[in-house]
Amino acid sequence: MGERPWCRGRSEGGSRAPRAMPSIVSFIFIWSAAAITAGADTGLPREKDYDYDPPVPGSYNLPVVKAAPDGAILDSNGTSLNLRDLTHGRITVLSFIYTRCAAPKACPYATSVMSQLHLLSVEDKTLAKNMRIVSMSFDPDYDTPQHLAAYAESMREEKSGCEWDFATAKSHSELDSILSAYGQAVDKRPDPADPQGPLYHILRVFLIDREGRIRNIYSSGTLDLRLVLADVKTLLLEDTTKVEIRK
Amino acid sequence: MKARINSQLIVLALSFTFSLIVARADETCSSPYLARIDGQEEFVYVWTLGVEGLGDGADKLVTVDVRPGSRNYGKVISSTSVDGRNEAHHGGFTDDRRQLWLAGLDSSRLFIFDVHTDPAKPRYVKTIDNFAEATGGAIGPHGAYALPGRVLIPCLSNAKDHGGRTALVEYSNDGNYIATHWMPTKDAAQGAANANLADGYGYDARVLPRKNALLTSSFTGWNNYMMEFGKLTADPEAMKHFGGTMVIWDFHTRQPKKIFEVPGVPLEIRWAWGDKHNYAFTATALSSKLWLVYLDNRGEWQAKDVAPISDVKGGVLPVDISLSADDKTLFIDSFGDGKCRVFDVSDPQKPKQIYEKQIGRQVNMVSESWDGKRVYFTSSLLEHWDKKGDENEQFLRGYSWDGKELKPQFDLDFTALKLGRPHHMVFGSTKIGPNRTVASN
Repeated sequence: MGERPWCRGRSEGGSRAPRAMPSIVSFIFIWSAAAITAGADTGLPREKDYDYDPPVPGSYNLPVVKAAPDGAILDSNGTSLNLRDLTHGRITVLSFIYTRCAAPKACPYATSVMSQLHLLSVEDKTLAKNMRIVSMSFDPDYDTPQHLAAYAESMREEKSGCEWDFATAKSHSELDSILSAYGQAVDKRPDPADPQGPLYHILRVFLIDREGRIRNIYSSGTLDLRLVLADVKTLLLEDTTKVEIRK
Repeated sequence: MKARINSQLIVLALSFTFSLIVARADETCSSPYLARIDGQEEFVYVWTLGVEGLGDGADKLVTVDVRPGSRNYGKVISSTSVDGRNEAHHGGFTDDRRQLWLAGLDSSRLFIFDVHTDPAKPRYVKTIDNFAEATGGAIGPHGAYALPGRVLIPCLSNAKDHGGRTALVEYSNDGNYIATHWMPTKDAAQGAANANLADGYGYDARVLPRKNALLTSSFTGWNNYMMEFGKLTADPEAMKHFGGTMVIWDFHTRQPKKIFEVPGVPLEIRWAWGDKHNYAFTATALSSKLWLVYLDNRGEWQAKDVAPISDVKGGVLPVDISLSADDKTLFIDSFGDGKCRVFDVSDPQKPKQIYEKQIGRQVNMVSESWDGKRVYFTSSLLEHWDKKGDENEQFLRGYSWDGKELKPQFDLDFTALKLGRPHHMVFGSTKIGPNRTVASN
């Protein structure tokens, strides 16, 4: 496994390694080991926790939950944007994360699913052209644009494929507003040195259609790559102009 | 590429096994999507029906302190009334455990409380009072079941004829209406197998995430649940209008897949918690039987009657049930005789009664702690179905359970306290303080 740019950046800065680094490194190690032992499977498998056949895309409806809220953000280049810039025009899978999270079924898991989704888009031109992944940090003090840029580089295994943006809020007040609007609960843990990371949070991943409407909300219990993929393809198949916006 | 992703998923699944073990909710009856309490519950929230002429006469959310050693142990520490009497019934938290949604069967109003800011004193936030209009005619919201970012509200009736045809309704956690899914009927079975059985009735709705399975049960419509019980049972025509089915759905697509004939009004559903336990229990109120819905060896969902509940002629009107976290013990309350019967369900196909206890002259709800050491009971079924006169005891009673015997710990008389008829219970805690959610869930 090569040195990860985001780890290198911290070393050059002379500070100690990021707290979450061991877990992420372990995670990537496990991931790499899995790749080495990869079998000849041709389809995405059932998992113990997702032990069912995924639905056929387009065979079901994804009702509108509400309009995806907006807010002032910074992308990983430090550029000021509105969140709506990343939730319109393409089918967006938006994941709220923080890179110090070491709770295995939370951010590391969400980012792994985003990574797999991104890998799928490398070979699927329709996904590459029509889908966007956004990983939005709620830890702006630690997850600076510079840090997110390095983190993004470590997570994107392929340069091609769909757009995968990393961002954070422009300010704490903007962050609070965005989190509240999305219903993303985040609290500080009593022990900031908690091995699972300094923040409590519910895992939330949002599926947003081209017109900026939330169409599904996943947590760890439903964040099955096969379901997300089926949902994205369901949105690709529908005529979005016929869906009435509910606010 | 696919092989690469496959192997990643396999290893991820293995590495997440531990986190899944600890990611369950604390109470055995709660949604698996609900953020859990760490450790023992500290409060019991009781959704209570108002009684005309008793106290303020309004429905209210009552908070009882159950912290061991607290000077207020077993006492009411908070009570917040809502507008009027609504036939308070069941409720449930949002998945982040920040809000408690409480449903009114008569008014079809939903009352939302903040239980995050101060769990010892829930704060009323708002009311959803256009339910029938928003949902396209569903009425009689039965409760609220936590799903990711939303709540699932199984209903009992409809605005058109106030009968038993009804729907499942979804709202987002912030109170936006999302969707209505009508229960299958013979004429609109929506592709479900055994369409000829479909009766369109609804009651409980619960999910087994691992199998993407949603299971629903069936009760009766507004015309019946708002009628005096004596009058109802004397009306042969009205008695025809009760549910006798359960439906297994594809949870993700919300599409009904198969309808089961479960005669005699199957009410509460309890999925087993074990990683390989693909089954759920329900009790039938009018036929006093315990039913099992399970995945057979061919991967087909089936339903079967697995045990009688009492040998009392005419039945005992089983109502709420509670399955222990280890899937070995099932508590069954019977409104008719006021008893709790405990079954050993280690072999779900062959349940055996191992214990019974007289809880009161009437008893409805039972809630067991996740560690199985404490069991709470309340008395009210429905305003017009509760017993009369001296039989109309209204209480919250707390017991300890040692695997062999229920021992009384506290007893609250809701009539003497001028509170009303206590119905649904859910647990609260400050132990995770402002950190109401869990990263691992």
